[in-house]
Amino acid sequence: MTAEKRALLLVGSPRGIGHSTSDRLGSIVLDALKSRDVDTEKLHVHAAMDSPTALESALAAIGAADTVILSLPLYVDSFPAPVIAFLERIVQQRIGAGRARVFVIIQCGFPEKEQNATALAIAERFAAEAGWSWLGGVGLGAAEWQHKDVALALAPLAEAIANGTAVPQPVLRRAMPAWLYRFGGNVMWRLAARKHHATRSLRARPYDS
Amino acid sequence: MDALVLDGSRGAECRDALAALHRALAEAGYTTEVIPLRERTIAPCRGCFGCWVKTAGECVIDDEGRQVARAIARCDLLVYLTPVTFGGVSFELKKVLDRMIPNISPFFARVRGETHHQRRYRKTPRVIGLGILSQPDREAERVFKTLVERNGLNLRTPCTAAAVVTPESDLGATASALVKAVA
Repeated sequence: MTAEKRALLLVGSPRGIGHSTSDRLGSIVLDALKSRDVDTEKLHVHAAMDSPTALESALAAIGAADTVILSLPLYVDSFPAPVIAFLERIVQQRIGAGRARVFVIIQCGFPEKEQNATALAIAERFAAEAGWSWLGGVGLGAAEWQHKDVALALAPLAEAIANGTAVPQPVLRRAMPAWLYRFGGNVMWRLAARKHHATRSLRARPYDS
Repeated sequence: MDALVLDGSRGAECRDALAALHRALAEAGYTTEVIPLRERTIAPCRGCFGCWVKTAGECVIDDEGRQVARAIARCDLLVYLTPVTFGGVSFELKKVLDRMIPNISPFFARVRGETHHQRRYRKTPRVIGLGILSQPDREAERVFKTLVERNGLNLRTPCTAAAVVTPESDLGATASALVKAVA
């Protein structure tokens, strides 16, 4: 790997860079690539979609990268909407076609990583339509509950990503039993609502006809 | 019975399919409302969960997304009409689907062996997905049908049906079959 290699992390969470699990997970891989003498850069997809100037700049950055890490949260079994619009622009303008490679990280708010399968299939369809090499993808469940384990599992993937070869699936045990996740999550929602004095309205039905 | 068609097209690419859906829904006795999403001002979801823990089942963003969420909560049949985009739905449709989370509860439940959210409303609409492709693509079709089925599971709908059509498809027969499948 030489210094001319360039990797770009696309953060597909509305919470953006510095505030999202998507950034944290993608940065594990990006930092591991950096330690392998790869030039790295980060972009926030939602910010890129905010203005034509930001979009043009983001698409130029993608055009200059040979490896793209797309890291995003699972939204209704797929990508957050602005990510779809952004990827459509890449395909329309043939950016990176026949040259770029992509690796995808998707994390869901459920303990079962298998729930990311449909979104990973959509990501692979994007790669095919964009003419990008598909390095693979990883789906994570409850990643916010196992920071250390996820870091240990994701960082070694950088070697295959840097070499442009198929990325093996990381070995990662489930953060906790699913029943415990559901129980803890339900407690957490009540505590979060209490902060806003909204505990009594957690089950409100404002649109009942 | 009320049907709500979310038209996720950017232009006229879904026009013929929409006409076929209209006929099939009318024949089955539905009163149909169509929302052309490209004409609506609907901001993307912020991922703040305010709709769950602050504002009691209503998105914190005060735009037309709230009206669509209300219409979805009240309809009997929800129809996704969309160009198939990477095997999934279009940006126009997805911006609304992302804004539908106020309509489900934050609380978790075990559903078919997986973790999902509980219903917020007693009644949830059945869901039809009709995807438009410019040419046959078996993998895109498989992903699209799986996506609609998975959405149904997450939105806790009683049943779903999905199909993908190309310019060579019999739109009338496909639309009728979809409506019958969720009857």
